[in-house]
Amino acid sequence: MDLRTEVLIIGGGATGAGIARDLALRGIPSLLVEKGDFTSGASGRNQGLLHSGARYAVNDPDAARECIAENRILRQIAPHCIEPTDGLFVSLPEDGSEYRANFIRACGNAGIDALPLSAREALSLEPRLNPRLIGAVRVPDGAIDPFMLVVENVRDAESRGARFLIHTEVTGLIREGPRIAGAHVRDRITGQSYAVAANWVVNATGAWANLILAMAGLQIGLALSKGSMLLTNTRLSERVLNRCRPPSSGDIIVPNDTVSILGTTSVREEDLERYEVTAEEVTFLVDELSKMVPDVKGERFNRAYAGVRPLLRSAETSDDRDISRGFSLIDHEQETGLAGLVTITGGKLMTYRLMAEKTVDFLCSRMGLHVPCITHRQPLPGAGLGNTLKDRLLHLRRQTPASRGEILCDCELVPREAVDAILREGKVRELQDILHRTRLAKGTCQGGFCVYRLLGLLNELHGEREKGGSNVILRGFLEERWKGIRPILWGTALKEEELIESIYKGLFNLAPGGPEQTERVNE
Amino acid sequence: MKHFDLIVIGTGLAGLTAARTAAEAGARVLIAGRGMGALTLFGNTIDLLGEIPPETDIEEGILRWIGAHPEHPYARTGMEGIETALSEFQRLFPPPYSFAAEGRRNALFPTGAGTMRPSYLIPVTMAAGAAMTPGETLIVGFRGFKDFQGDTVSLHLKCRGMNIALPRYGLEGMTALALARLMDEASFRERLGETIRRQMGGERFIGLPAVLGLRNPAAVLKTLENTTGARVFEIPMLPPSIPGTRVFHRFREELIAKNVTVLMGHPVTGATVRDQRCEGIAVQNPPLTAEYRADQYILATGRFLGGGLSAGMDRIVEPLFQIPVFQPGQREAWFGKRFFDPEAHPIHHAGIATDADLRPVDGTGNVVLENVRAAGSILAHHQAIEEKSREGIDIATGFLAATRALAS
Repeated sequence: MDLRTEVLIIGGGATGAGIARDLALRGIPSLLVEKGDFTSGASGRNQGLLHSGARYAVNDPDAARECIAENRILRQIAPHCIEPTDGLFVSLPEDGSEYRANFIRACGNAGIDALPLSAREALSLEPRLNPRLIGAVRVPDGAIDPFMLVVENVRDAESRGARFLIHTEVTGLIREGPRIAGAHVRDRITGQSYAVAANWVVNATGAWANLILAMAGLQIGLALSKGSMLLTNTRLSERVLNRCRPPSSGDIIVPNDTVSILGTTSVREEDLERYEVTAEEVTFLVDELSKMVPDVKGERFNRAYAGVRPLLRSAETSDDRDISRGFSLIDHEQETGLAGLVTITGGKLMTYRLMAEKTVDFLCSRMGLHVPCITHRQPLPGAGLGNTLKDRLLHLRRQTPASRGEILCDCELVPREAVDAILREGKVRELQDILHRTRLAKGTCQGGFCVYRLLGLLNELHGEREKGGSNVILRGFLEERWKGIRPILWGTALKEEELIESIYKGLFNLAPGGPEQTERVNE
Repeated sequence: MKHFDLIVIGTGLAGLTAARTAAEAGARVLIAGRGMGALTLFGNTIDLLGEIPPETDIEEGILRWIGAHPEHPYARTGMEGIETALSEFQRLFPPPYSFAAEGRRNALFPTGAGTMRPSYLIPVTMAAGAAMTPGETLIVGFRGFKDFQGDTVSLHLKCRGMNIALPRYGLEGMTALALARLMDEASFRERLGETIRRQMGGERFIGLPAVLGLRNPAAVLKTLENTTGARVFEIPMLPPSIPGTRVFHRFREELIAKNVTVLMGHPVTGATVRDQRCEGIAVQNPPLTAEYRADQYILATGRFLGGGLSAGMDRIVEPLFQIPVFQPGQREAWFGKRFFDPEAHPIHHAGIATDADLRPVDGTGNVVLENVRAAGSILAHHQAIEEKSREGIDIATGFLAATRALAS
C-alpha cells in the first residue's frame, strides 16, 4: 500500500502539526508520520508555559519580541488551549533589585507589559509566595495545553485534506539521484512496511533530527539538553511564578489546570530513548523552588518527567540561513546539493506557528506558489469552546447521575462515555493514545485504579481473546507509569505506591516477567 | 485514670490479634488506632507464605524459609507460634463462615485480574475457587460495577462470562459495600440467583466479585448455591475488601464482648517515654486529647500506608516513638528501576528490627524500649507483598507480641 503526497512531514509534535495545518490552509497536500503518538517528544514534555517573552528580555531581546508576538497570536487563534493566568517575576532578597530594574527596562524595550508590584501587592495576589520577597513584576505569561494545541492543528488540517499516520516510523529515506523523494516507513503496531513518495520531505523531528538526517548521510549541530519537571498534586499558584534573576535552573512554577508544574533542570543528554529524571534533580527542584514558594517542601508530587530540548549549536545559529535566533530552517540542497529535504529544528513550543510559517513560506517559494500564510489570524476549530475546569464542572453538574454514566477515573471525573467516543473514532491504537486524549490517569493515583477499569475496553481495542491481552498492556502501563512515579516516592506519594503495589503485585499477583499464571498446576 | 495491662496501638489485623490474645488471657486491654488497616483493603484470604509452591507441605516450606531468612518475622515466631496463632484465628470464625486450608498446602485462587494467586487459609465463600475448572465455570459481573471487570477475568481464565444489570440501582451507588449490603437482603440474593440460573449453560461453578454480604456471607453463599445448583465462589478485587471488612467486624465484636476498650478512628498522636519505658500515650478524640497508661504496649501501626512508617526525602522514620528504623540506603536506592523488578524493592526491607521478644532494637542490637513490642507489617526484613505473607505475619507476630507482653 505505497502512498504518495506532495509534502511528507516527519514528526507529530507542535512543529509538524503546525506545518501540516499551514500547508492545508494554503491548499498543499501533505502527509505526516509520527513514530509514537502526537506530542511524544518535547511538545508533550515541557512546562506548558505560554511565554510572555519576559524570561528572554534581558539576555535575548529578539527571542523576547518573537515570544510576545506569538503570545498575542495564540491568544487569538487558540484561546481554548490557553489559560491567561499572567505571570509574576518574583525578587527574593538574594536576587537584588538591580536585575529587577534591568528586567523592567528590557521588557519595555521588547514591548512586553511589565507592571512592578510591591511585596505586599504580590503577596495579596499569591499568598503562598515566600513572605521575604522584595517585590515582583507582572507580565502576560500564561498556561497552554500543548496536547490540545497539537490535536487542534491536526483536526483542522485533517478537515482540509491533510493525512496523519501515528505509530509510524521512518526507516529510511528514498533517494532518486540528487533528490530525496520520500521515505520508507513502518507501522510500529502491525509491523507493516511501505513507501511514501513525496516531492518534499520536512524533517520536523526536533531532538531526533539527526536520526533522520543520518539516513541521508547528513548531520547538523544539535545539542540535546534534558529538562526535568515535577508535577504537583495541587495548584500552588494562580499565576506563573518566575524568579526575577538571570535564567537558571529551578526558577519557574506554572499552574496547569488543577496542578502546578515545577521546572526545570538542564542536563546534556546523549541517549534519546533512555533519559530519566534523577533523584538529584528532584531534590534540587524541591530545594530551589521552595525558596520562592515554601509550601513546595511539603507538597505531594504526582509525577516527574523530562523532555529533551533540541538546542542549535552556536556555530549554526550565526549561519545566515537562520530565519531567527532560536530555531533554524535548513535547506539541505544549499548545504550539500541534496534536494527535496528540509529540516526545521531548535525553537520552542511558543514559536511552533512561526516555525511552520517560515517552513511553508520556503516550500511555497521553491514550488513557485504565491499563497500567503493565514495561520496568525485563522482561529483553530475549537476556539470559542469553553474548556476550563469551571466549564468541565458546570458540564458535570448539568448532568443527572444517570446521564453522566459510569465514571472511570475518580480522580479526574472521566466518564466511560468519553473513552468510548474516542474508541469509536477509531484513530487510537494503544492505551497511551487513550490516556493522551483524556484526563484519565492524570490525577493523584496516576491511573493506579482507573487502568484496571479500562481493561474491559482494552480487550476491545486489541481484539478479543488475544493471548495475554490486557494484562500484558496493564504491565506495560505500570512500567511506563513507574518512570514518572519512582523519582517522587517519599511522603504521601510513597504511601499510595504501597497501595498500588499491594493491588497489582499482591492482590492480583502480576508476575515480574509475565505471562501470568492463569491456570492451576498439579490439578 | 483507668490503668491497663496492655495498650495496643493500631487497629489492623496485627493489633486486633494482639488485643484479642491478651483479652482472652484476662488482661485489661485498650486498643486505639485511626483506621481499619490493610485488612479492609487487601485482606481477602489469610496468606501465610505464597512463595511456597502448592505441592510443598506448608510446615516444610516455612521451616526452610526460616532457615534461609533468619531475620524474617517468622524466624521470631517459629512454626509452632504460627500454628498456634492461626488456629486461634480459625477459632474466631466457627462455621458456617469459617476459614480453612486446602490440606496443609497453599492453593491457587482466581483474582479480579484473571490471574491465579496462592494463599493458605480461605473463607468458605472462596473455597470453590480452588476447585473450578475453566470449561465448567461462569464468571458473573455487574454492569457498571467498575472495580470488577468480569470480562477480563473470564477472558484470562478461559471461562464464559456475563454481566448482569441491576435495574434498581444507579451507577453512582455501585460500590462494593453497597453491593454487599444488598446481598444481605434475602429477596435480593434470591432474585440474583434466579437471574443467574436462567442464563447458565450447564456450568458447575460460578465466580462472583467478593461482595457476597457483610453480615451473613454463608447465607448468601447458600442461597446462591441452592438456586443455581452450582458451587459459588467469591473473587478478590480492587480495594476495599469486603471479606477483610468481615474479619474486621468479627474482631471488633469479639473485643467488645471481652471488655476491651476499643477506640476506633482515634489516632495515637504522642507517647511519653522515660528511661526506655513508655509511660503513656496520647489519643486524639477531637477536641480532646486523652492520655492512657499501661504496663505494656504493642506497636502495630503498619507500614507507610498505615502510618507506622513515614518517609521523608532523606530517611524513613517511625513517627510515634522515633524508634530506629532499618534504612534501605539513600532515597534513590529505595526502589528498583522497574516496577516489576525481579527483586522486591529495597524499601520493603525497611522497618523495625527486634529482639526475639519483638522488642525494638537499635543498629547494634540493644533494646530501645523495654515495655514496647512491635508486631505486624511495621517489622523489618519481610516482603509481605511479594512473598504473600501479610496476614500470616500480622496474626503470628500479633499473637506472639501479646503473649510476651503479658509474660513480662
